[in-house]
Amino acid sequence: MPPILEVTNLTKRFGGVTAVNRVSLSLDAGRIYGLIGPNGSGKTTLFNCITGLVRRDAGEVRFKRRRIDGLKPHQVFHHGIGRTFQVIRVFPELTALENLMVVTTGDHARACRRAGELLRFVKIESLAGEYAGNLSYGQQKLLEFIRVLMTDPELILLDEPAAGVNRTLLNELLDAVRALRDRGKTILLVEHDMKVVMGLCETVFVLDHGEKLAEGPPGVIQSDERVIEAYFGR
Amino acid sequence: MRRLGLAALAALAVVALALYPLEGTGYGVRVMLQLFMWIALAQSWNLISGLTGYVSFGHVAFYGMGAYSTAIVIVRLGWPWLPAALLGGAMAMVLALVIGWPCLRLKGPYFAIAMLGLNEVLRVAASYFEGLTGGGLGLSLPTLHASVPIYYAMGLTAAGVTLLTYVILTSRFGLRLMTIREDEVAAEAMGIDTHRYKLYAFLLSAVAPGIVGGLSARDQGYIEPISVFPLLMTITMIVMVLFGGKGTIWGPVLGAVLLFTFQELVWARFIYLHQLLFGAIIVTVVLLMPRGILGVLQQKYNLPRTI
Repeated sequence: MPPILEVTNLTKRFGGVTAVNRVSLSLDAGRIYGLIGPNGSGKTTLFNCITGLVRRDAGEVRFKRRRIDGLKPHQVFHHGIGRTFQVIRVFPELTALENLMVVTTGDHARACRRAGELLRFVKIESLAGEYAGNLSYGQQKLLEFIRVLMTDPELILLDEPAAGVNRTLLNELLDAVRALRDRGKTILLVEHDMKVVMGLCETVFVLDHGEKLAEGPPGVIQSDERVIEAYFGR
Repeated sequence: MRRLGLAALAALAVVALALYPLEGTGYGVRVMLQLFMWIALAQSWNLISGLTGYVSFGHVAFYGMGAYSTAIVIVRLGWPWLPAALLGGAMAMVLALVIGWPCLRLKGPYFAIAMLGLNEVLRVAASYFEGLTGGGLGLSLPTLHASVPIYYAMGLTAAGVTLLTYVILTSRFGLRLMTIREDEVAAEAMGIDTHRYKLYAFLLSAVAPGIVGGLSARDQGYIEPISVFPLLMTITMIVMVLFGGKGTIWGPVLGAVLLFTFQELVWARFIYLHQLLFGAIIVTVVLLMPRGILGVLQQKYNLPRTI
């Protein structure tokens, strides 16, 4: 099987800073990948380049063999790539249910059923009619997560899904991510919580200063000297 | 039961307004006609700015465009006023397309300023192309007593935009427009073609101002650049919507009715005080209730935005 996502020599500069420098990654379908690295190492910029929010300066992004670099974010989304954000970005003055409905097209009743299922899945169905801005931080995080699932994307990019989420909620979230993987979805997540990364991901990419430093199973990455050096210094 | 009561009340109001010209004075009819005009204008501004959050500071440009298009085809080509006014609406939409395509890529204050500039450019253009527009001397339309039919046309336009707002606000199309206001980046990332949706909203928001511009040009019988491109008119639309409650269905109507009535009562007696009070209202609304009357009620009692 060819990789579902292939990033080749991707480069992005902001003024004099090279945020992402010739990074190449390849993701196979049905697996969970982690993307780690110190602050400012280019993780979010890489996400933004893949999803079209930021225009890359050089390199290629292929999704299911088709070029998607240069496309607008909404076009990338319709190819089947969904994402969440590091800082929560629900639509505060829309209700929880509307936050889910708004991303759908086509049959209204079916979309409504799907929204109901997902709200029950993360146990916030009683808040369907509440404005998203009135929900708690954790509830908003869950809402953003299930909003991505509304259209059933094949590749899901999660930017720090565990940040600020309590343990109980976190375990449910991680179970949900594994369940998605079991249904054949591919997940790439940025995460600072090493326990989460090591327990969940099958392959981990390490970025430092915009460059890919290492790649491999979590156990190997954990003891890689270059990685330890990047995080803790020499 | 409550819905039934409200529907009955609305039906009663419609019947009363439909019968009003039979009993009302000529002055009364023209006052009501202006009220309809303000409802249509405020409601249209709400469609683009209340829903997508893109503040149009030059919305009167569409009104002026409609007024001039209508007046020109009436004076130069002898068109009847109704198709002429509808053409005014269509021309306003064309203008919205030409301007919206590039300008809706601008964000926040830059878009507001671009729209402000558009209005100034059009005013100067109307003065400059004398052969077509009569320049600074303006255009006089042939005498016609049609206040009553114009009253109905204006009323239908106001009702039409309000109905349109209802349809939009209760659809996924409307939700998509609101996501642009809420978080444009997230909207894009969630598959919403924000530029296209902004353009749709902008086009829809230009039609009614074009039509009512044409209708008032016909009603007043004379237009000049200063009278159809006044910045104050845009500001009045904005204040009406902010006062009533932006992003709701009845907010712009409520704002237009309250402020227009207030204006009519105070205007006649205290011309300077009127402007002072108007300014005071803007400051008060922005400081104390930025969501407007219905916005406050909506939040306090958790009402749907269809109020």
